[in-house]
Amino acid sequence: MKIRLKLIASYREHLPPGTEGSVIEVEVPPGATVAEVVTPFGIPLDDSSVIVLNGLTVPLDAPVLEGDTVAAFSAIAGG
Amino acid sequence: MYGWHGKILRINLTTGKVSTEEIDPKLARDYIGGRGWAIRYLTDEVDPKVDPLSPDNKLIFATGPLTATTAPTGNRYMVVTKSPLTGALAHSNSGGDFPTWMKRTGYDMFIFEGRAQSPVYVWVNEDQVEVRDAAHVWGRDVHETTDILLEETDPGAKVACIGPAGENRVLMAAIMNDKHRAAARSGVGAVMGSKNLKGVVVMGRKNPAFFDDAGMRALSLELNKEVGADIKKGSNLRIYGTAYVPQVTNTLGILPTRNFQTGVFEGVDNIDGVALKNKYLITHKPCYRCPIACGRLTAVDDEKYAGKGEGPEYETIASLGSACGLSNLAALTKANYLCNELGLDTISTGLTIAAAMELYEKGEIGIEDTGRPLSFGDGDAVIDMVQKIAYRDGFGDELAEGSFRLAAKYNRPEVSVTARRQELPGYDPRGSQGMGLLYATSNKGASHMEGDVAYEEVFGTPVKADGLVTDGKAELVARFQDAFALIDSGGICVFFAVRYVFTKEMMIWPVRLAQLLNLTTGADYSPAEALEAAERVYTLERMFLIGAGSGPEEDTLSPRLLHEPLPEGPGKGRVVDLDKMLPEYYQVRDWPGGIPSEEKLSALGLM
Repeated sequence: MKIRLKLIASYREHLPPGTEGSVIEVEVPPGATVAEVVTPFGIPLDDSSVIVLNGLTVPLDAPVLEGDTVAAFSAIAGG
Repeated sequence: MYGWHGKILRINLTTGKVSTEEIDPKLARDYIGGRGWAIRYLTDEVDPKVDPLSPDNKLIFATGPLTATTAPTGNRYMVVTKSPLTGALAHSNSGGDFPTWMKRTGYDMFIFEGRAQSPVYVWVNEDQVEVRDAAHVWGRDVHETTDILLEETDPGAKVACIGPAGENRVLMAAIMNDKHRAAARSGVGAVMGSKNLKGVVVMGRKNPAFFDDAGMRALSLELNKEVGADIKKGSNLRIYGTAYVPQVTNTLGILPTRNFQTGVFEGVDNIDGVALKNKYLITHKPCYRCPIACGRLTAVDDEKYAGKGEGPEYETIASLGSACGLSNLAALTKANYLCNELGLDTISTGLTIAAAMELYEKGEIGIEDTGRPLSFGDGDAVIDMVQKIAYRDGFGDELAEGSFRLAAKYNRPEVSVTARRQELPGYDPRGSQGMGLLYATSNKGASHMEGDVAYEEVFGTPVKADGLVTDGKAELVARFQDAFALIDSGGICVFFAVRYVFTKEMMIWPVRLAQLLNLTTGADYSPAEALEAAERVYTLERMFLIGAGSGPEEDTLSPRLLHEPLPEGPGKGRVVDLDKMLPEYYQVRDWPGGIPSEEKLSALGLM
């Protein structure tokens, strides 16, 4: 199934080279979790990242559904 | 004394008399410095019912014990007075260079009282203090004024001044320093203008001595290294400045859009940090000795909107940009430059224009009122209104009073998105419930700088909190309010402080901030004592508000935020659940009915 991945600001560097903008479409298997969506892109899963599903705060093992948007950005900035 | 000079400079503008005072060491420790000292003096010397624009109000500039030290970002000052916008307290914070230069004069705090007969500026060069004629710069903008005053004093000095907006007592007028930095909020510039005080120029070499010099330098070095390591990893604040935030808040559905009618802006890609970096960024611009360097030096070469200056920062993007439906970054940046040059708070200015745009689009006002079309998204209208506000020209005269009074005039209170009559910053509290409680209870009216729980609800620092949840927010808001009172009183920047000198324990706990204060002053605060001193500051401010008639009855929000659900986005359907959070907050604070209990006041030494 297809979902959208949005990597904001400094995390844009984790998108494939040549990506236009901050959003890409990603193919994931049914039942995939939020963590499984972002891990291949090297997004840290610890407190240094904020990762949301459709803008909502969810556990990293929350399942994603077709058409969802997972977004992530660095919490390191300090403001 | 160490850290503190322990000296206050008092300037009576009515008589021209200049005097100096020593500060009581117990008061110094009990109220920390900066914001804390200032509210103690304001409370002791000013009737909270005073007309804010009368000579009886006082204007206080206050540095903290960490200002002009080796502490990273130890370069902030506060402007404290009674606010003409809110009728409550103003304490506006700024960085740049001015705060360090002010502290190096050998005074921790300046108190301006009375009103000069004609425009003046004050030149403080250590013990040489002069009240000088300013007729020749009255009417000039911030940049011109700064250049002229430096030429007349010392090119190495630093200037804080007002622009035409402050002279014209616009209720959202700022005090600008170093041309581009602002003690922006709550109309502090109007108070300065009401005193006929155009500018303050400072110069000096009196760095404060540290109680433990080697210890202070070692901890400062350690903290600088930690910031440096984060910068290497890729700090959004360094790469994009705060302009990276619109993408974050838009994702969460809380980016103020078309006067808070929604929290999702279709034009966000055009006004975010990436667009700014690619189009107009010259370089990052730090405040003095700041290792983060979030400031942006920019230039717009577009023929129509050409200019050069600093910004826009996130709050400006949200207020003059998305809140006005504006996705033209050149026009937005130009409006930002004009606010800086004319001396206006971009948040209240943008949100007041946005309120007028909504009234215009809903037919409540027309061209006969506004003098021009005023639709959302019209960059020329935003720029035109910024200038008209500063000069109180035409419809700008109405807007110069802020959105609360504008909306009341047209009997549409919901279009003023305010708390205590001050316009909201860029976090729609319907999707960030803790921010809703913060705005409603803030001593300075709606402000993120009063205890920014968006750190947790939006940015995940030090831990991520769910912005749609209300449980636990009363405790979190109270703790952050006290923590920010501590940061502001200390004289450092929140961008540094929250991440590096607080721990995650007890929500946030000022372990290394207490160390910095102790190494600097020798005050020997435990973290709990430091926070208790900050609670003393916050509570005394609350008592000032109650005395001013801005107590519990004003602990509320715009009707829009309480009754109009977000129409889309992650927070769709939500309003601010203030009825639940506010009683919990009063309980946490021990403020029955919103009034600090006698036991609380006694415990804090305020009775």
